[in-house]
Amino acid sequence: MRGYLRLELRRTLRTPGFVIFTVAMPLVMYLVFTNLGTVTGRHSRDAALYAMISVGGFGAVGALLNYGASVVADRTSGWLRHLRLTPLSPLRVVLGKGLTGMLLAVPPVLALCLAAVLVNHVRLGGGQWCALVPLMWLGATPFVLLGLGLGYLCTAQTVQPANFVCYFGMSLLGGLWLPLQTFPAWLRRLGRLTPTHGYADMALRVVGFNSDPAGLDAAVLGAWSLAFAAFAVWAYRRSAARKDA
Amino acid sequence: MTATALSRPDGAAPADPPAGPAVRLHDVSFGYGRDPVVHGLDLRVEPGEVLALLGPNGAGKSTTIGLLLGLLTPAAGRVSLFGLGPEQAVRRGLVAAMLQENQLLPRATVGELLHFTRGLYREPMSLDEVAGLADVGDLLGRTTDGLSGGQAQRVRFALAVVGRPSLLVLDEPTAALDVRARREFWRAIDGYAAHGRAVLFASHHLQEVDEHAGRVVMLAAGRIVADGSPAQIRRTVADRTVAVDVTRDGPDEAMLRTLPGVASATVAAGRAELRCTDADAAVTALAERGLLRNIEVGAGSLEDAFLSITEVR
Repeated sequence: MRGYLRLELRRTLRTPGFVIFTVAMPLVMYLVFTNLGTVTGRHSRDAALYAMISVGGFGAVGALLNYGASVVADRTSGWLRHLRLTPLSPLRVVLGKGLTGMLLAVPPVLALCLAAVLVNHVRLGGGQWCALVPLMWLGATPFVLLGLGLGYLCTAQTVQPANFVCYFGMSLLGGLWLPLQTFPAWLRRLGRLTPTHGYADMALRVVGFNSDPAGLDAAVLGAWSLAFAAFAVWAYRRSAARKDA
Repeated sequence: MTATALSRPDGAAPADPPAGPAVRLHDVSFGYGRDPVVHGLDLRVEPGEVLALLGPNGAGKSTTIGLLLGLLTPAAGRVSLFGLGPEQAVRRGLVAAMLQENQLLPRATVGELLHFTRGLYREPMSLDEVAGLADVGDLLGRTTDGLSGGQAQRVRFALAVVGRPSLLVLDEPTAALDVRARREFWRAIDGYAAHGRAVLFASHHLQEVDEHAGRVVMLAAGRIVADGSPAQIRRTVADRTVAVDVTRDGPDEAMLRTLPGVASATVAAGRAELRCTDADAAVTALAERGLLRNIEVGAGSLEDAFLSITEVR
């Protein structure tokens, strides 16, 4: 399976737009958000830190959903059928795809942290970094399941809109662009139940910006993880039954 | 054929020599909804055989291949490869295939794909060996996106053989190739088969089948209608047409049909068209009777040839 990971990683890095979509876009958003000059003084430090986590999470979620969409191309090109005729088991194919996605979520997280340190002079303790980076990375695991599920379910025509709705909808509602506190109360209640909020809030807790108790975040993220896993398995089976997996 | 015939070119025996027939289909049927695609297929292929599945488009060749690879599940009957279920045989690396519609993975180099595929098998060929066999040595650094049809087909062949499968399955392997690429491609397939492996390929080119298969199984409308050597099949298949002008008081259809080598005859507008299993014999017979007027000999379509077989039956 290591060979499969290596092959997938190299291919994805060659994908036109992959770096732009998953690293450059969040990076530019971050620098624009935090340097527009509307937030000043002590608040600007807080904003730089808050946005590092939320926009970094946004980038990681985007990388995973975007990568999941490549399953559509694998299916329609016959690549998955080709793999079915090799000794590589279907379980390993799915695992390999998921693990590759997880590795691809690393660059946006690191890029945002670096930009925060170098450009916005964010300073954190060693312990905080050690907790924050893995949380921002591994916390995104459920989204790889969602991405794979969409990849198995959708066609080449529907996968981009489906991804777009999930990506932007969940990012906005979950407070990855603007803090939930800026939302009206009814929208805030809804936002607290999104997986993106559970994910970002866990990381924000490390620096004391969390809005919800750890139990609620964990429950929200756990429930969505189960839901996305069930969705991915269902979509994979459906696709296998159509004989295009 | 015994396990020794399956040994590698360098003489080392495979770690896990497969037992039993390479392919065994027992009364296999398959259909979509209520429309049956293949019925009651019985087929046994021994290791070392090069077998062609011959038939017009829509005869059920690809479906048969899908069934024997485990991509399709038979509605009835049993499929086994080397005594194992198709999925197990694939998992053990005993079988590999080149399917018609599979494209190469985009944005990967040929070398990366080969390297990856090698890693999936227990006793793969070295890169040099497979590059030589499939003639892909000059393509290793190229990405798959920019390959020509013939180059892509050679790469797909390399991916299929790199794991030294004991059974190689090819669905219309030369369909997209020009004459020269086709010849070179067959040289590679013949080279692989020469080591005593079973090769099963689907084709609708009678000539290709004639030159490369040791045995031909003919499919028409989802059934096996003939099974024999290419020479035997050629005698059954009326794949040549012979046309001559006939006068009004000349021979009629019934008489023409009795000529040697003629399977069927039609006379229309002063011209007789004979569908022949043996065009040489038919032309000789016409000449002996003084009937050679404005003669034209052509290759009939295989579809027509199959129709003539099923009509005769």
